[in-house]
Amino acid sequence: MHPELTEEQTYFRDTSRRYLEKETPLTVVRALYDSPDGFDRGWWRKVAELGWTSMFVPEANGGGSISGRPVADAVIVAEEMGRMVAPGPFLPVSVVADALAQSGGHGEILRGLLSGEVIAAWAFAEADGNWDGSKVATTVSRDGSDYLLSGDKRFIEAVAVADYLLVTAQADEGLTQLIVRTDAPGVTIRPGRSVDMTRRVGAVSFDNVRVPTGALVGAYGAANEAVTRQRAIAIALQCAELIGIADRTFEFTLAYGANRYAFGRAIVSYQAIKHRAADLLVTLEGSKAVTDELARLIDAGDPGTDRMASVAKAYVGQACLTVVDECVQITGGIGVTWEHDLHLYNRRAALDHVLFGTPQEHKKRIVESLQQEAA
Amino acid sequence: MSMESIEDFTKRASNWIAANLPPVDDPPMPDRELQALIFDGGFAGLAFPAEYGGGGLTLEHHKAFFDAADRLRRQVRNSCRISISTIGPTLLEHASHEFKQKFLPGLLRGDQVWVQLLSEPQGGSDMAGAVTKLSRQGNGYVLNGAKMWSTGAHAADWAICLARSNWDVPKHDGLSMIALPLKDTPGLTLHQTRKANGELGDFCEEFFDDVQLPGEYLIGDEGEGWTVARTLLLHERYFHGNVQYGYAGAREWSSSAFYGVVHTPQELVAIAERRGVIDQLGATLADTYIDTVVGPLTERRINAALRSGSYEGPWGSVLKLQWSVGNHDAVRAELAVMGAEGAVWDGTEVEIKNIGTTWIFSRARRIAGGSSEMQRNTISERLLNLPRDPTPDKGKPFKEVKSNRE
Repeated sequence: MHPELTEEQTYFRDTSRRYLEKETPLTVVRALYDSPDGFDRGWWRKVAELGWTSMFVPEANGGGSISGRPVADAVIVAEEMGRMVAPGPFLPVSVVADALAQSGGHGEILRGLLSGEVIAAWAFAEADGNWDGSKVATTVSRDGSDYLLSGDKRFIEAVAVADYLLVTAQADEGLTQLIVRTDAPGVTIRPGRSVDMTRRVGAVSFDNVRVPTGALVGAYGAANEAVTRQRAIAIALQCAELIGIADRTFEFTLAYGANRYAFGRAIVSYQAIKHRAADLLVTLEGSKAVTDELARLIDAGDPGTDRMASVAKAYVGQACLTVVDECVQITGGIGVTWEHDLHLYNRRAALDHVLFGTPQEHKKRIVESLQQEAA
Repeated sequence: MSMESIEDFTKRASNWIAANLPPVDDPPMPDRELQALIFDGGFAGLAFPAEYGGGGLTLEHHKAFFDAADRLRRQVRNSCRISISTIGPTLLEHASHEFKQKFLPGLLRGDQVWVQLLSEPQGGSDMAGAVTKLSRQGNGYVLNGAKMWSTGAHAADWAICLARSNWDVPKHDGLSMIALPLKDTPGLTLHQTRKANGELGDFCEEFFDDVQLPGEYLIGDEGEGWTVARTLLLHERYFHGNVQYGYAGAREWSSSAFYGVVHTPQELVAIAERRGVIDQLGATLADTYIDTVVGPLTERRINAALRSGSYEGPWGSVLKLQWSVGNHDAVRAELAVMGAEGAVWDGTEVEIKNIGTTWIFSRARRIAGGSSEMQRNTISERLLNLPRDPTPDKGKPFKEVKSNRE
């Protein structure tokens, strides 16, 4: 997506792309539709060797990013995943790895995430599907040197396969995050499906779960900034994936339209389609520009990150779903059949559109933040 | 003698800039005065040959000069730059040696500001369908017809004008480009066009009534006018894209300046809240704000890609389309937020700085400089390689082509 990748980043992108084309072509994605997990754990360990799990893990724990800018590296993977609607818990593992790394501890879990042996997911949103820290009702309290955790979390990618959950909860002192084993007593996982072919999204409840003191991630009662950063990373990866999805569908749809004739002309020679394609290219360029900027701000620790995350999700979420949607229209009847691959892309785009806040919800956040700025 | 290295040049240029050019925070120096100062210092038209008054260096040196001025925060941009970076290189490529010797030094110094006369009242988007008539008369020419939408012509000294010299060949083949003086030229009437919002525009219309021009003023050969015009349009795109001869240092847009509406998004949100319409218009206001963020980022991205060479072609069309549509949407949003107080004011005097009056002219941005529809054609045909539209006038002698001629 970024026209100015370094040589190492270009190599990383190319090897990732080749690996996905070889190991998880769309026929494999279709086959995984019937698998409970939606991906193969042995395959996940192999992509871990390619470096997919490395960028957010500190060098002290064996990780490291090729450019020194972990988000800039991660959006490369996310975009390639979008192009191939690839399986695998890249987003949740990345977000949790960064959260643990930022806290300065949890080396053993980080090493497990790095090798691909361990999978972790982020439990943040609750019943109302809102990714806003102030809406968190799950509670945590101190009990001696332990913590007690109670509440329900929903909309968690890879919850059913996760070994650990990063749980965002409300303490009397403020937002607090814990890394909790999924086999701890009182943890009940409710596996779920999503509109996507391979991405499984479920729920969990915590019934007075006793969590040891070492499970604290960051400072007790002071997780606001961490949560903002995690949400921004999740949105950056979503946006990059949406761009991969939109770019790829745009490519194969225009190629199809060039060979599809109606009334003696290729359908893409009609201005009704040419002009729509031009408008889509404009929003694709805008999507790439704003996603790169979001990645840059997160990597720089810029205070404008939260606002830019909402701008990116609002813009890219809308633009890229529209690209896929218009590609369905250009493709015509075959585009709404199971046989055609468009729905694989439309499914992933729809899921990315709604998780971590819809474009409309982010517009509301933008207006609220402009109101605060004006006051 | 070998070419001065970029490093040595940057050092020399920086010293001169620091000693001579006014800081950007000072009141702006008048355009021509500033350009003359740069020219006399030896830093104007750096990539133009020395025999035509240029620096005899390269576009890399040109870039280094503007970057140095940027770093030192000195005034360096001025209105003469448009004629220097668009018409200058066009003349360099197509005019005769004698013409360049005679005219380029004055152009580079800002002594003569040049503009282009391309569009016509009847022409619309079909620039190559020009019907302004250039006829031979002895060793010279006579010009008859009219041009319109000529930006800056009222403040300029010279122009190059696209005219039809042959009606018996297909439209692109019958055009010629000719230079003409704009001051005190017998047979030439020029006036600024009054815009729908009541203001005088910075663009003009010109009427030619038997304007006599010497043969040496022809740029390129007869019939080569479209080739010359294409070179000009290419350099105009470079100018808008801030690359090549048009590069003038890294630009940082402020978001509100980018859209040129009356209020900032923050102010509009506060007004919407006060007027109790925030629930209905919140999403629209967010879209306006988002556009003011995404627009400049897209411009930065595309210009960087053009400079590095990873993008090629008319990517400026993407920016033009995005910007003009975003601007029009922003004005419309502000009209909705302001309600009655945006279009009505106290007192008996005409006011221009209000969103109601801004709205009256806001469609212009989606029409001028290539309409949104033309941009979409350019993007789809030249960036996405989709088939060109059928052109019924192709290959036909121009006199047989249907057009808006009376």
